[in-house]
Amino acid sequence: MLNQILAIAWKDLKIFFKDRGGMVIIFLQPMMFIIVMSYALSGLFSSGTDRPIQILAVNQDQGTQAAAIIQKLDEMKAFTVETTWEGEAVTRPAAERLIVEGKRRLALVFQSDFSEVLEQNPAAQERRTTKVLLIADPATSSQFVEPILGTLQGLLQKTTYTAMMPKGIDYLFEQLGPAVSDAEREKFKTRAEEAISGGLGADRMAVVIVEQTTPAGMRVEKNPNTFQQNVPGYTIYGIFWIVSLLAGSVMLEKREGTFRRLLVAPMSRAAMLAGKVVPYYIINLLQLILMLGVSSLLFKMSLGYSLAALVAVSLAAAATATGLGVLVASLARTEAQVGGLAVLLLLTLSALGGCFVPRFIMPEWLQTIGLVTPHAWALDAYQDLLVRGYGLIKVLPKVGALAAFAMVFFAIGVWRFRFE
Amino acid sequence: MPPAIIEVNGLVKKYGDRVAVRGVTFTILEGDIFGLLGPNGAGKTTTIGILATLLTLDEGRVTISGYDLVREANRVKQVIGFVPQELALYPTISAQDNLAFFGRIYGLRGAALKKRIDEVLVLVGLGDRAGDAVQTFSGGMKRRLNIAAGLIHQPRVLFLDEPTVGVDPQSRNFIFEHIERLKAEGMTIIYTTHYMEEAERLCNRVAIMDEGCILALDTPQGLVSLLGGGVIYIGLSSEAIRALLPSIQALPGVGAASIQGSRLKIETKDARPTLLKLIELCNTRNTPVLSLEILEPNLESVFLHLTGKRLRN
Repeated sequence: MLNQILAIAWKDLKIFFKDRGGMVIIFLQPMMFIIVMSYALSGLFSSGTDRPIQILAVNQDQGTQAAAIIQKLDEMKAFTVETTWEGEAVTRPAAERLIVEGKRRLALVFQSDFSEVLEQNPAAQERRTTKVLLIADPATSSQFVEPILGTLQGLLQKTTYTAMMPKGIDYLFEQLGPAVSDAEREKFKTRAEEAISGGLGADRMAVVIVEQTTPAGMRVEKNPNTFQQNVPGYTIYGIFWIVSLLAGSVMLEKREGTFRRLLVAPMSRAAMLAGKVVPYYIINLLQLILMLGVSSLLFKMSLGYSLAALVAVSLAAAATATGLGVLVASLARTEAQVGGLAVLLLLTLSALGGCFVPRFIMPEWLQTIGLVTPHAWALDAYQDLLVRGYGLIKVLPKVGALAAFAMVFFAIGVWRFRFE
Repeated sequence: MPPAIIEVNGLVKKYGDRVAVRGVTFTILEGDIFGLLGPNGAGKTTTIGILATLLTLDEGRVTISGYDLVREANRVKQVIGFVPQELALYPTISAQDNLAFFGRIYGLRGAALKKRIDEVLVLVGLGDRAGDAVQTFSGGMKRRLNIAAGLIHQPRVLFLDEPTVGVDPQSRNFIFEHIERLKAEGMTIIYTTHYMEEAERLCNRVAIMDEGCILALDTPQGLVSLLGGGVIYIGLSSEAIRALLPSIQALPGVGAASIQGSRLKIETKDARPTLLKLIELCNTRNTPVLSLEILEPNLESVFLHLTGKRLRN
């Protein structure tokens, strides 16, 4: 019986490796997704220094305050501020044109009275205001714009305090009368300016320190890169394409009559089915080795800290994908049905399972629905290993969930399977 | 007389309310080429499907090479080979790989398998195309490889289900020659077809099936002799039929004559001279002939004679 299973498996592997279309679907397609999407989304996961956000700055300010803000913004690693375009100072119409043409997505416009307003006397009867405009391409998501607005507001606040303070302190001392000497006044003013502008007093005032960390139990030495985020998703998306190949191959055997021929041979139906499943399980494992291996070797992606856990998750994920293939093969009656059912299932399950879009940004009800997909469990298990740094014990429940999916798929598939 | 290798007794197969095979009984002797003839839906593919262990029987008993088909199916499977009507091959891999696969399924390994693949490929005339993908073969070559796959494990009994469907005349002759060679080697072959000339050329014995029953079973010569020297159907007016019947029965060479609807059925010892005399009689009596059909003494005519239907309808 084992020899017969191996004979079928070897034959199917031979057929698979001669099928260029199948190879493209199984190996090239997910690999291309991994490469293209990882580079495309690298900005979401890498630090700002990798690809700073480009902002145009239109400086109409008659004074020096806007230029100071522009310089501070440009000194930040996350931003590159451009005040000139092709050798000319950027004007507001030029900035708007560049945004309309899609060459830039954001522009800041400082009005001509910017410094004047910031440096006004706080004792003046009428308080003047000015605006800083942030011109944004409407296609730019608010998730992209909001952090920039926050940064800008912080800078403006600091600059406003710095600019207005000397006159404000003078005003306060004037209210106190001649009790304070001019020398005392100057000394106080200098210390206050230094503290606000981040000079001498800043260190002493910095009592709150913000530091990024991870929950206890997660072994993360550095933040995950774009490949660690994307590779598991597209790898899982890729391994489930085996459904189409396995079910298609079963339909072909039925159509060509080779199953009929095998039914006449002295072999059990269980051996026939096992022979059909084994090669696709092997192909799944090859896919996983290729996707994870290439990502690790070429893109320096960490594969986590536990090889045993990685193997356990991979074996369970591949079993689930192969099981779904048997299920689809048992439900479909024609090759066209296999094609339709496979594409519908694979794209829907991949999307719901978070292979394309992380589940944490989905509405809660959709996240809950996602849990009925094996993709979500497999993805979570891989992210536990690759991103969160967990070991075997921590991922065992997810491996168990995947094994349960596989058993249900196989059970229904075998029960419904027809050889003719 | 050689021993019986297949014995079928009271075989019945039902699909719901429809009875596909109705109590069929026959025996096939070792070394026979046994033809199952009949139109589509006659029950021959169902019968061969049961004998080849593809279908279960509802009633009756079948033994092949002494093994009970139901209780000892696995032993039966060891001694039979099956060549389905469709080209049951893997088109993207080579002829050699196809045969190696089917050989391994039957337990062949290593040098023995390689030797057998070479033998079978030579037997079907594909020795020089062993390494080529099957999808590059012509229809006839694929048919020959289809037969080779059924022979790889040297079965004692070979089922050939319409093996020449869609085959050009040259490849058909090639296939006939292979089958005759297998017969000479002593293999028992069960051959289904609706081509009478194939059955006449190849088969020792032929069973004619229709609507799940065997209507006649004999050697091709024995079946053809049912028609004597041929049958003439002549269409006349009803008055003329009644008037001419005694004279026709008295014509030399006429075995029997009977009325069948608006026609007279005349069984002859030799159809052609009898036909001339029949026309002469009609002319003499000034009786117009409305239709005329001659059944030459062959299996096609026997089938029409037995069922009233043409085989290839």
